[in-house]
Amino acid sequence: MSGPTPKDFIAGMDSNARKSPTRVVFVTRRTSAQVKVTAEDQVQTYPELLFRAVVAIEVLAIALVSMALLFNAPLEGIADPSHTPNPAKAPWYFLGLQEMLHYFPPVVAGVLVPGLVVMALIVIPYFNINVEAEGLFLKDRERRVLIFYVVTAALCLFLLLFDVYVALVPALIVAGFMALAAQSSPQSASAFRRGLAAKPLSFWIMTWFLFELTVLTAVGTFFRGPGWSWVLPWRS
Amino acid sequence: MPLSSESSFEPKKNSLSALWQTLFGHPVRAFGVVSLLLLILLAIAPAKNHFSEWRHYQKQYLALIRGRGDAVTLERRFHDHDGIQQIWLPQLGVVDRCTSCHSGLKEASLSDVSTQPFRRHPAIPHTLDQFGCVMCHRGQGPATTVEEAHSSTLAWEQPILPARYVQSSCGQCHRAPLTGTPQLNSGRNLLGRYGCVHCHTIKLPDGSAIKPTDDPPSLEHVADKTTREWVYAWLKDPQAYAVTATMPNFKLSDPDARDISAFLIADSTPLAGDTAPTPKNEKAPDPTAGASLYGESFCASCHAVQNAAGNVVGGDVGPELTRVGNKVKPEWLRAWLHNPRVYDSGTAMPHYRLSDPQLSLLTAFLGNKTDTDLLANVHLDAATPEQIAHGKLLVTEYGCASCHEINGIKKPDNFAPELTRIGSKALTQIIFLPGMTHALPDYIAAKIRQPRSFGSALKMPQFSLAPGQIDALTTALLSLTDRAQDLPRALTVAAKPASNYQPAGRAGQLMSDLACFSCHAINGRGGDMAPDLTWEGSSVQRPWLQAFLKNPGTLRPALIRRMPRFNLSDEDAKELTDYIMTVYQTPEFDRDSMPAGGYPAAQVERGKQLFYSKYACQGCHIVDTKVDKGYIGPTLTQVGSRLNAAWIYHWLKEPQNLRPGTIEPNRNMPDEDARALTAFLMAQRGSGKQEAKK
Amino acid sequence: MAKTITNYFDELRGTRVWRSVFRSGSGSSTLHRALAIQQNVFLHLFSTKVRTRMLSFSATWYLGTLTLGTFLILVSTGIPLMFYYHPSVPQAYADTKDLQFVVSSGLFLRNLHRWSAHAMVFLVFAHMFKVFYRGAYRPPREFNWVIGVVLLLITLLLSYTGYLLPWDQLAFWAITVGSNIASAVPVMGNKVHFLMLGGNVVNANALLRFYVLHCMILPLVAILFVAIHFWRIRKDGGLYAHQSEPRTVAARSVPAKGVPVP
Repeated sequence: MSGPTPKDFIAGMDSNARKSPTRVVFVTRRTSAQVKVTAEDQVQTYPELLFRAVVAIEVLAIALVSMALLFNAPLEGIADPSHTPNPAKAPWYFLGLQEMLHYFPPVVAGVLVPGLVVMALIVIPYFNINVEAEGLFLKDRERRVLIFYVVTAALCLFLLLFDVYVALVPALIVAGFMALAAQSSPQSASAFRRGLAAKPLSFWIMTWFLFELTVLTAVGTFFRGPGWSWVLPWRS
Repeated sequence: MPLSSESSFEPKKNSLSALWQTLFGHPVRAFGVVSLLLLILLAIAPAKNHFSEWRHYQKQYLALIRGRGDAVTLERRFHDHDGIQQIWLPQLGVVDRCTSCHSGLKEASLSDVSTQPFRRHPAIPHTLDQFGCVMCHRGQGPATTVEEAHSSTLAWEQPILPARYVQSSCGQCHRAPLTGTPQLNSGRNLLGRYGCVHCHTIKLPDGSAIKPTDDPPSLEHVADKTTREWVYAWLKDPQAYAVTATMPNFKLSDPDARDISAFLIADSTPLAGDTAPTPKNEKAPDPTAGASLYGESFCASCHAVQNAAGNVVGGDVGPELTRVGNKVKPEWLRAWLHNPRVYDSGTAMPHYRLSDPQLSLLTAFLGNKTDTDLLANVHLDAATPEQIAHGKLLVTEYGCASCHEINGIKKPDNFAPELTRIGSKALTQIIFLPGMTHALPDYIAAKIRQPRSFGSALKMPQFSLAPGQIDALTTALLSLTDRAQDLPRALTVAAKPASNYQPAGRAGQLMSDLACFSCHAINGRGGDMAPDLTWEGSSVQRPWLQAFLKNPGTLRPALIRRMPRFNLSDEDAKELTDYIMTVYQTPEFDRDSMPAGGYPAAQVERGKQLFYSKYACQGCHIVDTKVDKGYIGPTLTQVGSRLNAAWIYHWLKEPQNLRPGTIEPNRNMPDEDARALTAFLMAQRGSGKQEAKK
Repeated sequence: MAKTITNYFDELRGTRVWRSVFRSGSGSSTLHRALAIQQNVFLHLFSTKVRTRMLSFSATWYLGTLTLGTFLILVSTGIPLMFYYHPSVPQAYADTKDLQFVVSSGLFLRNLHRWSAHAMVFLVFAHMFKVFYRGAYRPPREFNWVIGVVLLLITLLLSYTGYLLPWDQLAFWAITVGSNIASAVPVMGNKVHFLMLGGNVVNANALLRFYVLHCMILPLVAILFVAIHFWRIRKDGGLYAHQSEPRTVAARSVPAKGVPVP
């Protein structure tokens, strides 16, 4: 039960193997597996996790079944290429994109932006800056604040140029919090500001993305009517 | 159990949390409880199915028929096809499940049941399985809930058609008029009569278009006919001049009406020979003296006049003449009465050969038909070039040339939206007025009733229509559906193709000149005011016809409308008679197959017996003016000198064969009866003449 | 009561039939419970043990589990829906109507499928953001995050292809609008658009294409990636637990005390 290089780890074991079997791994310098887990309270997947998971799924099923019993799925008239509804809307999860198509040329809004978003999502874990996740303004503060203001100003100018007020507002709100974070430090009095100061760049970008996604999708879903003009959902 | 649940859930506090703890305190227990809840919830779906609406109605139906005398038969018929019912007609795209709830539709014995959905369907010419339900009633056939089947939903925008428009559905297949659909027939006539189809194209499935029947006058020479003041007043309110006018009201402002009238008068060119001045030495006749000539000429058969009580009396072929003196210039009127074909070669007005004194009488009589109020307030200054130019612009804008011919303005194509498929117009394409029911019939009716209520800038004018006419027009328009256009040809009943029959030669010219087709139909062309003349040559005897053309008498004492006297010359009468006797022959029989007279007395006597007893013809016809009282059919006192014997015989045998649609009943007469009656009728020659002489 | 149920269940697991099927016997010992996971073709994707902390709702909001739940509901409602559906024009619409009006509980099935589809898209997004904000994409879980992004795209495609199937106005125009975006791809936009729809407009070809993708290809691909996704959770050291992780990559060489690899 003991490896050839027992120096690097200590194996703790119960004497009763039948009662608490423990798998042991031998880590040598040539082993590629990254072992980064410390000992911690553990329970058996069966039954502890399995039953909880099943209960969670059942609760969700109850919610969805109730919804299915109460609300009918929408069904309109048969597809008719000669009668274009106004507005013709994509599925709700694409309405953020459709809202952007209203402002930008299709190459930008339909191809470039979603393509970049997917690329950005994929590469997140491969950048050490995201993995280390240090507060954005903790190091090299002055230079970073300067870059932040330049980038924010450029983005706002770009959005203004295309009259994209819908996207401008969330951007400004997030930028406001970032500015506050720039003025905070881990020594700040309030816990909230200490938290802000610790947020890394990836957090800010993702939050901005989430905020924009939510706002654009909500606007596209609820606030757009004939000719993609503004409407109020409760006035129809 | 070595389960470490303590950490994840709160310890007991009170009974409520104790209950919570019992139920959910442990993942396994929670699993049991939640599973149970989910199963119960899942059971609701099939339960919902079991309590569906259609099952409910089927149970009600069974309860309804249980107490009835023929319950066993009804129940057996019901159980023969249990569950959801459907009429499936793939060719028509019909899936109708209406009979799932409307269980008693075909049960004749349920005629006393008045509660829906169990009412029996009234008798119709089709069986219910032949075309299903939604072909006529609209609504969503595949639906099995009341709401979805009857109302307008997101998935199906055509709700049940209100019963008052249901005749429109017949019109999807039947292009020819039906006796059971007066409202549809009337609506279709109105589309032509009110000139809707001048601006709105309506194509029929065969590719032809509905043609207007209102014959709006050409305005190329309008200044010859009338004054600018009248044009102004007419434009402002056509119905103020003539209540029956079909010209719509364009709701023009005073300056616009002024400018349009200025343009129309300035644009008009004089027409040679269009005015006939009164002979110099003639003194003006008494205006009222023309009344009898107006009556004798049967002008009222076509023209109406509003009497003192406000009722419009007379025909509607020509324009109403109540205030004609306000409108036309006397010289023009005289020229028109002299020969209307000079001013309008296609007019429905016959060319009466009136003498000069008669012309003076009629002109004076009609010229006196005025209303002093009509033009009292119309004072127009001389038109300026700007006004005329603006008038021309307005005339183009309002599409006046869609109906009227106007010098220098082309008839616009597709001036208004095409209505070929208006009966299937998608509700999403309609902008409804606030407070309006979102339904197609309501929209169409509102649009006809008050077009400008949908926007003051809209060009469609205000027509003067009675509520019944609006319903009829709506019905006719609702029949113009996608289905009507796309229906398999084999299922449609086409209208009789419009005939452009035109007789040849001099007789043909004469018939045009006399406008015979305004009242008579021949070979499918012409009006229905007077008898169809297609087989007239087989029907009558030559001497009678020639005499009749010279001096028409009446054959039907009950009718006010009669054939007018055209003052034909002998040559013209002979020409027409020759033509009719030669050309208008039926292929059904040989007109010379039976003699005109010389029937044995016994046969004549038997015919008389049959006439008065077996067939009781005197109920409608008069042979002996002293005894008989019938007035529905023509008088037969001189029928022996009027009709051909073979015609009478075949007429008696099968009248519908010779003149489809005649009200003469088919009595299925045996040959010898028909022959005896013919003999009796051919003997009726002299008494009528004596009567006339008295 | 729970005890009794569990006891009965353990008894059931002890029977010969159960053991012949699941290859693991009764017994509430840790070994038996570990074997219950290990010996099952589906469950062996998971670790036999989990950190106690990860059971709490706040750790994950169970978003991954719930997403799996919606997927299971979608498969189980999708199969009966397929029984009644012909991917042809205009039969597809008529079939949808028949599901609503004639098929027993057909409307319920369709409703459940539709709402679950929406829920799944929402839950996948929520899952992604939750994982991000917890920082659970960090090494060694980089690739599992990438698989997660792929699963997000598959979910969107599944929902999008399913959107067309009822063949109603909503479906037709949503797909028309959505597919027009593909035409904006530089150079080969129209080719991509054509390939996607099997034509230049949304028609019967597009319906068939979307049907095959929705009912065959995409679910299989999704199942494959879900399997890898779960298996990688085990291989990457279980669910990410914040404080138990070394803060940085540099801290890797710090010797751990007693490393039971799950």
